Amino acid sequence: MPTAGLKTIIALSFVLAVGFLLVILSCALWHAYYPLLVVATYVLAPVPNWICSHCANPDDFVESSGAAVLDLGRFCTGFLVVMGIALPVILAHSNIISVPAMVMSVIGGLLIYGTIISFAMFFQEEQEF
Amino acid sequence: MSEDRLWKFKRPEWLNSVWARNAGVYAAGGLFSLAFYTLLDSAVWSKSALNGSTLHVTFVDWLPFIFSSLGMLIINSVEKARLSADSFSYSGSGVAWKARVVLFLGFAALAGGMAGGVTVFVLKFVVPGVPFPAMTMGVENVVANALVGLSSVVLWVSQNMEDEYSYNLAL
Repeated sequence: MPTAGLKTIIALSFVLAVGFLLVILSCALWHAYYPLLVVATYVLAPVPNWICSHCANPDDFVESSGAAVLDLGRFCTGFLVVMGIALPVILAHSNIISVPAMVMSVIGGLLIYGTIISFAMFFQEEQEF
Repeated sequence: MSEDRLWKFKRPEWLNSVWARNAGVYAAGGLFSLAFYTLLDSAVWSKSALNGSTLHVTFVDWLPFIFSSLGMLIINSVEKARLSADSFSYSGSGVAWKARVVLFLGFAALAGGMAGGVTVFVLKFVVPGVPFPAMTMGVENVVANALVGLSSVVLWVSQNMEDEYSYNLAL
């Protein structure tokens, strides 16, 4: 586990800002505000994992019910992550947003999600039992 | 874990790690999402201005996907340990048999969804001879149902790693 310092926080916030910039720009340049849904998707994506890891009892790993709840959380997270990419592609395919807007919102969404994931990875130590 | 297994072929060694198991579950969720959004894409495209034909996606096109998803839900609700172990029968006799009946219903719903997707594709798009930009709606229907099947296969395989997983943790 790499140590998280001030530089990490600054770099992560910078990447997050660039991601938001790309998504908002992809909306504002073409006056079609559907790609903002990507931000909501990626912010919501880790939530099922967190909820289900709190629901599962960490003491009994052998019990299968806890693993089933964890799997449900992972399934929903995988669903939401692919949804963040699929949503702009659908909108661009039906000509609701343009193709450059699709590319920008996909890249921006991936940057936002990568920031969330790496933030959770860097600062996981404080939540360890 | 010797000859009482449901499937007779062996899985490779690298699959027996926690990492591969979690990645399999994530991939199953992603594949299901891909299936859903493939079908949603055909519905959105059918409503958009690009669709010049009179064909539109209706509830009939969604029905095979609903059946596939129902089958996937049923298959993954069956606890895998019940399928091969008839011995610990605290809920009556023949638990494995009952579990296999439920599993059969699940697979039948999944295969029925796949067949329904092909039926819609053939009856609504191939037989009237729809030209290609509108034909995509039928192709996407078949692809979506195949992806649901693939997703449940991935989920099934990765959940069958469970016994190795708990064994590793018990050590």
